[in-house]
Amino acid sequence: MEVWTVVAKLIGAGLAIGLGAIGPGVGIGILGMGAMNALGRNPEARGPIMTNMILGIAFAEAVAIYALVIAILLIFVA
Amino acid sequence: MSTKNRSSLFLKIAVLAAGLLAMIVVSFLGSEVGSGIFGLTPVSILKVEAPKYHPAPERPFPSLPITNTMITAWISIMVLFLLFFIGTRTMKLVPSGLQNLLELIVESAANFIEDPAGKKHGRWFFPICTTIFLFVVANAWVSLLPGFETIHVNGEPLLRSANTDLNIPAALAVVSFIFIEYWGFKARGVSYLTTFFHVGPLWSALRLIGAGKIKAGAGGLLNGFVALFAGLLEILSHLIRMVSFTFRLFGNMTAGMILVMIMIFLVPWVLPSLFYGMEAFFGFIQAMIFAGLTLGFACAAVMEEE
Repeated sequence: MEVWTVVAKLIGAGLAIGLGAIGPGVGIGILGMGAMNALGRNPEARGPIMTNMILGIAFAEAVAIYALVIAILLIFVA
Repeated sequence: MSTKNRSSLFLKIAVLAAGLLAMIVVSFLGSEVGSGIFGLTPVSILKVEAPKYHPAPERPFPSLPITNTMITAWISIMVLFLLFFIGTRTMKLVPSGLQNLLELIVESAANFIEDPAGKKHGRWFFPICTTIFLFVVANAWVSLLPGFETIHVNGEPLLRSANTDLNIPAALAVVSFIFIEYWGFKARGVSYLTTFFHVGPLWSALRLIGAGKIKAGAGGLLNGFVALFAGLLEILSHLIRMVSFTFRLFGNMTAGMILVMIMIFLVPWVLPSLFYGMEAFFGFIQAMIFAGLTLGFACAAVMEEE
């Protein structure tokens, strides 16, 4: 059934990016909390703290990007 | 400032903000989507064609095997080459103008790299990490110029951001992987392989069993096999880095491109400028992350085990 394929693809894409962004969102928030705590304790160490926070956020964000790529694949390619 | 100057400045800012807001609202109501929602007629000048995205890059000249992302990559290579060539043509000891800007870029990169890596390893890492950073940021920023995705040749866009083609981030990721392993071997010789093959715990457990202490040896045997498995997992983690580097850069840049295309389709005036700014920022951040992660993994690879 042609229409149910399209329905399944769209629901799949929505679920992929919707559920896939929960984890990284929480993870980045926890990273931010750690960075804020460290910055509050020691404002002079701003440079290394910010650099390492950005690095950690890149790792967490990559997982959300994997989910986004699957959603894009489902809508435009499959 | 005096109250008269301050109130006239406030008035000017208020008029500007109101004008921009009016342009946003008018263009949203005049475009296809907004007029459809409110039942008005769309204005032809605000008609933008619906965004069309293919993951694979298109070939604007059907007879030549050249994709539009290749053309963009060549353009960004040319831009980088011309920038550095013109800036260093007449080199002065005390720099000024373009040479000053280039020295700022090179010196900031050198400080960023030597911080975790130390002076000796920093010298090894500097060329590759800085080139990766400059190439990715040039690709990202060159694709914000007018003409990208709008000039059509034979029905296909002539130019497309080079980071949105899966091949170019993949090539950079493979280069990163090759150089990280090369630096690992260069710094530690063949003992770099001990990161992957942890035979130490298993060997000492077998020696214990061989010496007759069965009970202690049996516990150590389990530890030995777990350590061996962890070492093999390290090989997988090194190989998976290529995939994660590729998709991190590709996904971020593609999502940015689709976002800008959809914004231009929904609200053609004023609002896409904000998203262009966001694209520029994200391009810089992703370039820094790619180069920074290459640097981080390289530092981990050359570190001597205590």
